Amino acid sequence: MTGRCSDCRYFENDPAYVEAAFPGMASLSSAYSSVRADGGLCLRASLFVAPWKRCGDFEKNSEGE
Amino acid sequence: MAKKESVTDYCETKVCADEAPATPAAPTGWKELYLKEDWWAIYLGIGIVVVSLLAFLAGSTIVKSLAVNPGGLKWSSLGQLGKHFAGNAYLYVLQLVCWLIIFGIPARIMGIRGSRFIPSFIGLYILSVIMFALGGWVDAQKYNMEPPLLALIVGLFIANVIPLPKWLDCGFRVEYYVKTGIVLLGATFPITLVVSAGPIALLQATVISLATCLTIYFAATRMFGLDKRLASVLGVGGAVCGVSASIAIASSVKARKEYLYTSVTLVVVWALIMIFFIPFVSKMFNLSAGQGGAWVGTSEFADAAGFAAASAYGRMAGSENTAIQAFTLMKVIGRDIWIGIWSFIFALIACLKWEKDECGVRPSALEIWWRFPKFVIGFFVASLMISAVTAGYAAPVFDKLVKPSLIGPIAALRGWTFIFCFLSIGLTTRFRELKAAGWKSVGAFSMGVVINVVLGFLLSAIVFGGYWTHLGK
Repeated sequence: MTGRCSDCRYFENDPAYVEAAFPGMASLSSAYSSVRADGGLCLRASLFVAPWKRCGDFEKNSEGE
Repeated sequence: MAKKESVTDYCETKVCADEAPATPAAPTGWKELYLKEDWWAIYLGIGIVVVSLLAFLAGSTIVKSLAVNPGGLKWSSLGQLGKHFAGNAYLYVLQLVCWLIIFGIPARIMGIRGSRFIPSFIGLYILSVIMFALGGWVDAQKYNMEPPLLALIVGLFIANVIPLPKWLDCGFRVEYYVKTGIVLLGATFPITLVVSAGPIALLQATVISLATCLTIYFAATRMFGLDKRLASVLGVGGAVCGVSASIAIASSVKARKEYLYTSVTLVVVWALIMIFFIPFVSKMFNLSAGQGGAWVGTSEFADAAGFAAASAYGRMAGSENTAIQAFTLMKVIGRDIWIGIWSFIFALIACLKWEKDECGVRPSALEIWWRFPKFVIGFFVASLMISAVTAGYAAPVFDKLVKPSLIGPIAALRGWTFIFCFLSIGLTTRFRELKAAGWKSVGAFSMGVVINVVLGFLLSAIVFGGYWTHLGK
């Protein structure tokens, strides 16, 4: 099953979380910047991805439904 | 792979787990208008410019008074310094309150806790006053005690020697302050200079960015056999705008998170080295302020670090404004604004070549807009606004009235945002927390740094040296 990373339960792009996950990022950049757009972590595959990316390990995020 | 039940199961550190949100983040889209620092930098910067303009037109000195700082005192005794603070205590308190409102409310809207931001910012403000006070000593320049470098060193010392609680980082928002400062810089930057010097800056920056990126990419892949995604994250990070560029490219090519760790470490270390290396080597070669600023603009990795270096060298060379102008042309206009295009191109390459078998998705051209560093719009708007208002003043009137009553206070407020930024760089750089980078990555990136620095010097000091020396004259 494929789907957009933004809809996947393993995708996490909260800015505070992203900054905490990457030590040193906030020294010269920011997860609250436009340049990051909505990029975030794929916690399943340990990747940093754009929300429109897809993969076969997609699992729909059911929280908030 | 065993299913993990919550986001915190993946966290390697307690801090990371503490920051994990309770509910998943929804796509930002146009909510970025109030969730991103870039847009707030525009609102705050243009807001300050408009208030300054209104005060100037009304003949009020309120903004000039509120822009007080001890940096220009040239004090020779502590008694003199004490007298200044005693006589202006109410202004400093009022200024602190204004900054807390200006930066604190948007920070809360963006999701940063006020209970953490406020005490952190108060500490940052007090340190900033001390930095300005030290820089205002009559012999400060004799000992190269430039406030930007002093702020950075003091910040680094505090962060790496004193165990500050991590939550204080909420107030040490490097990009937030430097972006607001860049919008304020636009107000003191004639639009005619942007139009006339922009093409040269763009040409020089493009040549060097391409050479640097290709050097790092091919060194990483051909010489060291590194993964192409790692090579692209390092390449654009080293060639365009440091960690921000690395973040953009990493998400475009689905990079492993370790690649971003490596890039962050290398950029932070090299950027800190360059803050000191370029100004002091520029001084050795007696470069003009414009030449030094242009070199910083091509060879520094981040806006924040670059402003520290350009500001410091400008003061050493006798014209901080010229150095900052040259740096801004080269870095912000020559490099930063193109990050969306770099990101789109690499996303396309990843989709068409690297992810063909992995359900690759074509990127939308809208990526160029979403990743565009929006604060640059504020820079241009501020420049156009002030250029339009002041165009009608004859030169003698401009020098006697407009400069001290309008441009001066805006520049002084910009100085505050920059010192907040420089202190924050130091206060958030904890060397023990940086992830180790492999020697092959270090080798590839460093080769790019060498090419970048040498080409940057050649083009800034020799090929276009005369141009940069006479910038704005």
